[in-house]
Amino acid sequence: MSELITGYTTQEKLEILSDAAKYDVACTSSGVDRKGKKGALGNSKACGICHSFAADGRCISLLKVLLTNHCVYDCKYCLNRRSNDVRRAAFEPDELCQLVVEFYKRNYIEGLFLSSGVMKSPAFTMEKMCEVLSLLRGKYQFNGYIHVKTIPGAPDELIAKAGYLADRMSVNLELPTAESLGKLAPNKNFKTILDPMEKISGTIAQHRLAVGKDARMERSTINRYLDNSIFHAKGQIETSANNLPVVSGNGTEQKNYLSVNGNDKKLHRPFAPAGQSTQMIIGASGESDLVLMRTTQKLYQNYDLKRVFFSAYVPINEDSALPALGTAPPLLREHRLYQADWLLRYYGFRTEELLSEQRPNFNEQLDPKCDWALRHLELFPVEVQKASYEMLLRIPGVGPKSAQRIVNSRRYGRIDFEHLKKMGVVLKRAHYFITCNGHMMYKTPIEENYITRQLVSVNGRENWQISHQNEQYHQMSLFEMG
Amino acid sequence: MKIFVCNNRFEDMMSAIYDAWSCALTCGHDNVFLTCGPVFQESILDEYVYAECDREKAVKVVRSVSKKMGEEALGFIKYASLSCDEGALDAIYRFMIRGFKIGHGITNALTEPAVVRLMELKRNVGNEAHYFREFVRFSSVDNQVYVSHIEPKNNVLELVGMHFADRMPSEHFIIVDDGRKLAIVHPKDSQNFFRYLTDEELNLLLKTDAVRDEYSSMWKTFFNSIAIRERENRKCQRNMLPLWMRKHMIEFMD
Repeated sequence: MSELITGYTTQEKLEILSDAAKYDVACTSSGVDRKGKKGALGNSKACGICHSFAADGRCISLLKVLLTNHCVYDCKYCLNRRSNDVRRAAFEPDELCQLVVEFYKRNYIEGLFLSSGVMKSPAFTMEKMCEVLSLLRGKYQFNGYIHVKTIPGAPDELIAKAGYLADRMSVNLELPTAESLGKLAPNKNFKTILDPMEKISGTIAQHRLAVGKDARMERSTINRYLDNSIFHAKGQIETSANNLPVVSGNGTEQKNYLSVNGNDKKLHRPFAPAGQSTQMIIGASGESDLVLMRTTQKLYQNYDLKRVFFSAYVPINEDSALPALGTAPPLLREHRLYQADWLLRYYGFRTEELLSEQRPNFNEQLDPKCDWALRHLELFPVEVQKASYEMLLRIPGVGPKSAQRIVNSRRYGRIDFEHLKKMGVVLKRAHYFITCNGHMMYKTPIEENYITRQLVSVNGRENWQISHQNEQYHQMSLFEMG
Repeated sequence: MKIFVCNNRFEDMMSAIYDAWSCALTCGHDNVFLTCGPVFQESILDEYVYAECDREKAVKVVRSVSKKMGEEALGFIKYASLSCDEGALDAIYRFMIRGFKIGHGITNALTEPAVVRLMELKRNVGNEAHYFREFVRFSSVDNQVYVSHIEPKNNVLELVGMHFADRMPSEHFIIVDDGRKLAIVHPKDSQNFFRYLTDEELNLLLKTDAVRDEYSSMWKTFFNSIAIRERENRKCQRNMLPLWMRKHMIEFMD
């Protein structure tokens, strides 16, 4: 990259390249447990460790930067597109590695999140990224967490090499359908995104089998026991019968795993042990929540992704195909999608239960679980002393932890509302749907309109805060008036 | 009421529990109370017993807990013993009373008030230890040793130290608990050890809090540029990272 050195200091480069990376959402350091070892630097905790929280309230766990923001592509939604006039910079591999190591030792970060603009070609860019990872793992003996973005269109060997060096890999889906992608990202196409995704998931499965694990990633401890869960084998067959928008073009059976060349075979590291993730931009194109959730569910089932992230579109470019500048990012919608994503991953819900062709979008006023419960009042109220674990999980205000606590403790004595509160059940939502020893907490009619009104007022404050979070009012000082 | 007073160390606490228990065999559990010293004003109605640390008694208590209630319950007790709550030691005692009755399932018996109380203490300690794993900041002193300062409410220094011994085994580092005048010292490629600091040592170490270098200033740059202005949400930031935690965090200092 020597020809592109523009005389920026490391600090300036860091400013430019972290600013350029800030719209990437997947900043978690979770999914893999790895002990530290003498002579090396770092370990990894499966629960993930946040190291700070930025002014937008998002967690900072990894040093999230681009290797370079030079880009040959011209995606309409992107800050770094070719046609934008922004400051461009590129890190030297050694420079970036030192930054990671020094930040890590000061406990600022849990590792590196490396993405990049496409400089010259996908292959060239990916090779540079691999160089950084090799240096970190080799010369700097860095044993912490690394998340690497795959550049669509990069050769298989390079993707494989990156996978053996990193902990998590991700390919950005960007948009949920091929049509939107064609419209907003003219240089990308669905095939070059789904291809590496499929190969990465194939390689992860292959590696897991080779070390004696199950081919599919471990899911949260309880979810694997839920019959109805999207990860449950029975569910897989049913949905593959549906003809959903994503993943229909892969008719030809090809080699769906990756292998590395020559020297790289000596890497002796597991392939992407923390799995694979992806992200979608929401609000830039016109898809309904149903399309987004179907795509999400499909990605979990077919590619065994660990996470699907959503990113509310913040208008930064002026374009007729995009929302106008100054449009507020759809934060409440993003919040609803994440809530639904949690319901899929931890609560044994399926997309079909939450949304339908008749109701393709989430209720603005109620969270998806309350909304579901209100449409199924025939199942309530539930007796906590007797209900199955699956049913407990479906009560609004009860989460996996509190459901587990209820199941574990009820054999030692009768549970009453006071106990539930101590176990972490949110009674202000839950009390409409449960009985303890045959009694409800208050005298409540099980009647849809009544409970809806009550829950909307419980949720109202929260919803308002989410959609108005960035409006700050403060006393004007004299100096601001000038 | 007989009140058993002991030092704020695990072994002392376990010996005090042994003494209190043997006393309770004659006067009943309701008539003993345990607390960690010092007691500033003794009440004239109660009798105070200052329990001496006796390793043998402590070992007996620990052994019977792990045998009758299991390792998980022992873990709960260890965590709760680090709590800053004044009633923590008595809560451990009440938990043991139920524990010896119920046996191995005790940690699940959340309908028991004594168990819930211990769970809360344990969770409080565990959460705070995790906070410091996240938010401790080291400064590099003379490029040789990494020093950090914490002021935790609970005595979580040891838990935090263990995490960092695994995270960077081949670095010299010191974590100082300013309030308790206690430090964990980790020499390169070796094990952690505790040190009670003299005032002189503490004052010397306190100066390291002001150490700045190019990386701390780059971290600030990164911290500011990574936030999305259109999504600014200070309230959420405060929820996730309370103000009192920020005292020694470089990105929030001057």
